[in-house]
Amino acid sequence: MRRVLTALAHYWPVLAVFVGWDLWIVLNGYTTVVAPRPGLVLADIAGNPGAYAGDLLRTLGTSVVGLVLGMAVGVLAAIAVWSSAAVAGVVTPAALVLRSVPVTAMVPIIARVAGYGDSSILVIIVVVSFFPAFVLTLSGLAATPAAGRDLFGVLGANRVRTLLRLHLPHAVPNVVVAFRLTAPSAVLAALLAEYLVGSGGLGHLFSTSRSYLDLERAWGTALLATVVSILTFVLARGVERRVTARFS
Amino acid sequence: MTGSARRAVLAGTGVVVLLAGAELVGRTGIAGPSWPPLTEVASYLADPDRRATVVRAAQTTLTSAARGLVAGVVVAALAACVGLLLPPLRPGLDRLAALLHAVPVIALAPLLITTVGRETTPTVVAGLGAGFVMFVAFSSGLGLAGARSTHDDVFDVLGANRLRRLLRLQLPKSVPTVLDGLTLAAPAAVLGATIGEWFGAPRGLGVLIVSAMQNFQVNLLWSAAACATVLSLLAYGLTTAVQRVAVRRVA
Repeated sequence: MRRVLTALAHYWPVLAVFVGWDLWIVLNGYTTVVAPRPGLVLADIAGNPGAYAGDLLRTLGTSVVGLVLGMAVGVLAAIAVWSSAAVAGVVTPAALVLRSVPVTAMVPIIARVAGYGDSSILVIIVVVSFFPAFVLTLSGLAATPAAGRDLFGVLGANRVRTLLRLHLPHAVPNVVVAFRLTAPSAVLAALLAEYLVGSGGLGHLFSTSRSYLDLERAWGTALLATVVSILTFVLARGVERRVTARFS
Repeated sequence: MTGSARRAVLAGTGVVVLLAGAELVGRTGIAGPSWPPLTEVASYLADPDRRATVVRAAQTTLTSAARGLVAGVVVAALAACVGLLLPPLRPGLDRLAALLHAVPVIALAPLLITTVGRETTPTVVAGLGAGFVMFVAFSSGLGLAGARSTHDDVFDVLGANRLRRLLRLQLPKSVPTVLDGLTLAAPAAVLGATIGEWFGAPRGLGVLIVSAMQNFQVNLLWSAAACATVLSLLAYGLTTAVQRVAVRRVA
């Protein structure tokens, strides 16, 4: 009983969403052609797990691979640029401008340039994940305390060693913050790209079931997409907490 | 040269290099026909009729984004205040705040089209996107997670009730965090509006971008995308300016 109460205290908004959703449909008198009730949607997911599983895994896989690749490239680029204050000063504002390009504007352009297909979906996620990692890693590398730099200077450490032993460890918390911030955007970018040009994945399943007016499937996909995005976020936040605790 | 002047010169150089690079890629054609030289996009926009199309779309998007932002801020503030005044609801709201960051607004847009209608969907999606961010900002600014300060002790000792504490202590203290959130929420509103438009709104930059992509109108695609980027940058720039001024006064 106690456990139930604690769970209720922590997760009542989830319950509220489902009750609100149901009430909204019933009170407005919407038919299933307009919006299906939550029970039907959950039944569709529970009844046809096979219809969702492939696309779910695909979206998850593409998002994670793209996210990790994009972050890796971002961190490497930040290290490359960091060694020169002038280059960093030139590149950072440009990166900030590119970071402000809304995903909705970026996806169609990359799809147009890289071709309609699954490779461009990966490119899109990599590009979206690149900028936060780049900007935050660079600021982490640059914000190393002066005392540490003085110590390494006095002890005659060379640049590579200073980078590996001082600056990079100092930048790690920033990198994991970038990871947590980017994880949901990577999933969002994957969904948008699949919706527009994909041949599979939740975004694609969503667009096809919507055009066949299979609304239970469409809402089910939306529900699963939300769950995937939240899970990615929770995972990234877990990584962030663990790493931050170790590095600060 | 002083530090800030030097930074400004470097930043200016960066933007020029970026534009020149994009121009070069377009000129040489290495990225294919879908990457036009920027000068071609600019001359495309120089035509008054075409410019009018893009500007009209941008106005629609801006209106949806602005309305959504205002609605999102108000609703988020109310929700956070409810959490403060009714402590039993707090743990759930706290968890909700952590998770709302991750809700993909794309999942909601097409569902809204059938229920709230094509015209209103961009506004609602913009409101949701901005509202999620603002709810997180309000709840961390108002200390929903329960971190106490010496000021709280003073209010306790003097016997302040919850409402007074909210008005006199928590709201003023939350201003910097809330304005930080606003600098994220304003671009999120622009993004939300364009996502809402993607899924079948009659007007707006999102519609223009998708239809230009599908009809291979490369110059229109780039013009509309550039316009959306400018809106997003303006939203970020303006809110950042407000935040700087306010933080200087409050902190």
